This record gives sequence, structure tokens and C-alpha cells, in this order.
Amino acid sequence: MGAICLIIALYGAIRIVLERETLLKLPFVNVMNFGIAGLIVFILPHPLTLVAAAAYFVGSTLEANAIASAIARRGGK
Amino acid sequence: MLEEFGRIVVATVIAWVLFLSLDIYWRLPRRGGVSGADAIGKAIAERGGDQHGGWMMGNIVCSPDASAGTLLAACGVFVAGIPGGIAAAILVYIGNRICHDKGYAGTSGALIATIVIAGFMQIGFFASDFIAGMVLAILTIQGISHTHASRLIGYFWRWRA
Repeated sequence: MGAICLIIALYGAIRIVLERETLLKLPFVNVMNFGIAGLIVFILPHPLTLVAAAAYFVGSTLEANAIASAIARRGGK
Repeated sequence: MLEEFGRIVVATVIAWVLFLSLDIYWRLPRRGGVSGADAIGKAIAERGGDQHGGWMMGNIVCSPDASAGTLLAACGVFVAGIPGGIAAAILVYIGNRICHDKGYAGTSGALIATIVIAGFMQIGFFASDFIAGMVLAILTIQGISHTHASRLIGYFWRWRA
């Protein structure tokens, strides 16, 4: 199961590199985040890992939000 | 091996239906909730995608929605049973508030996913199937073709609206 998350996270990372427009990279970043958040839980199955996975996921979502709103403020490119 | 594969496929379909129906129920495709989500929606529409579908994809990127709720609830149930799923809902709600979102979609997604996963565990599924299933489900929406995924969401949105 962890392998599925890892492969999808890697696939997302490759698509991020291949996509030219920054705003359209962000959905692939989202896919990568899902994969890594799942992978964290599979690597270390412990109740506190949930906090780590949630902190990773929320933090990275907030970063994607910040990048997108910064680009929007600069005029969409 | 084959049985495990079948469980993951079923979990993927359930997670896909669950998060899309909740996101559309909470009107995520109506508009970009924050300026970043709005910009992503417009960028997807410029490439030939659907505007409402693009906004929903932007909203998924910019704040933990029902898909994140489902993923973290599956993680919570995997590590700590049903209390873990409820803890995941609280964490998603905190995450929503950090991201300036009201948090309905994420929190309700986590709670409903906890109930659904606990139910499916009674008939032989594992919570880990739903973690892999949710990752595969988000791959189909956000990770393959933005144009086609946004058109599909737009189709569902017009059906609801």
C-alpha cells in the first residue's frame, strides 16, 4: 500500500517538473501531498503519526494557497 | 494479492464518490473561495477546461476539503480506530481555519468517511485500503488531465445547480 502512495507521489513530482505554468503545477503538488501524507502513516503506524501527517498536509496546503494567491496578486502569471 | 487489488479498487470508487459528492454538496465549484483558488480556476478554464470545475480544483488545492478529510480520516482510523478518525476531523477543522475556510466540507468529509470506513471494516476491508484508495481517487481528479477532470466536475455541478 505504501508503494502505491510512493509511486503516485513520484508521479505527481514528475508532472510538477513537466508542467510549465506555475498555477497549473499546484494541482499536481496536491496529488504529491496526498501521496506523501499517506506514506508518512504507512512508514510509521503510530497514533501520533496522524498529527504529523495532518501537520504536513495542512502546512503544504497553506503553502500552495500562499503561492497561488501571490501569483493572483501579481496578475495571474 | 488479487483480493487486495479488488479491495483497493472498491475503496477508490467509494472514496471518489464520497469526496466528490460532499464537495459538490458544499458548493465548492460555485466560485474560487480565495484569490489563489480563483486564479487556478481561471488558468484551467484558459486551457479549455470548465470554469466551475476549475474553481473546485482550485479550492481543493487551497484548503483541506472533503478529499483531505477522507484521507486523514482513513489515516486516523488506520492508526487509532474510530477515535483516530474523530481526531482527524478536529485536525482538518483546525487546518481549514488556518486556510481561511469555514471548514464544512473538510470536517463533514472526515466524519462521514470515518463512519463509512468503520462500516466497511466490518465486512473485511482495512483502513489502509482507503488511504491508498483516496490517493488514487485524488490522482484521477487532480493528476491526470485538468481539462477533462474540470469538465467532469462541471457536468456534475450543472446537474446539482
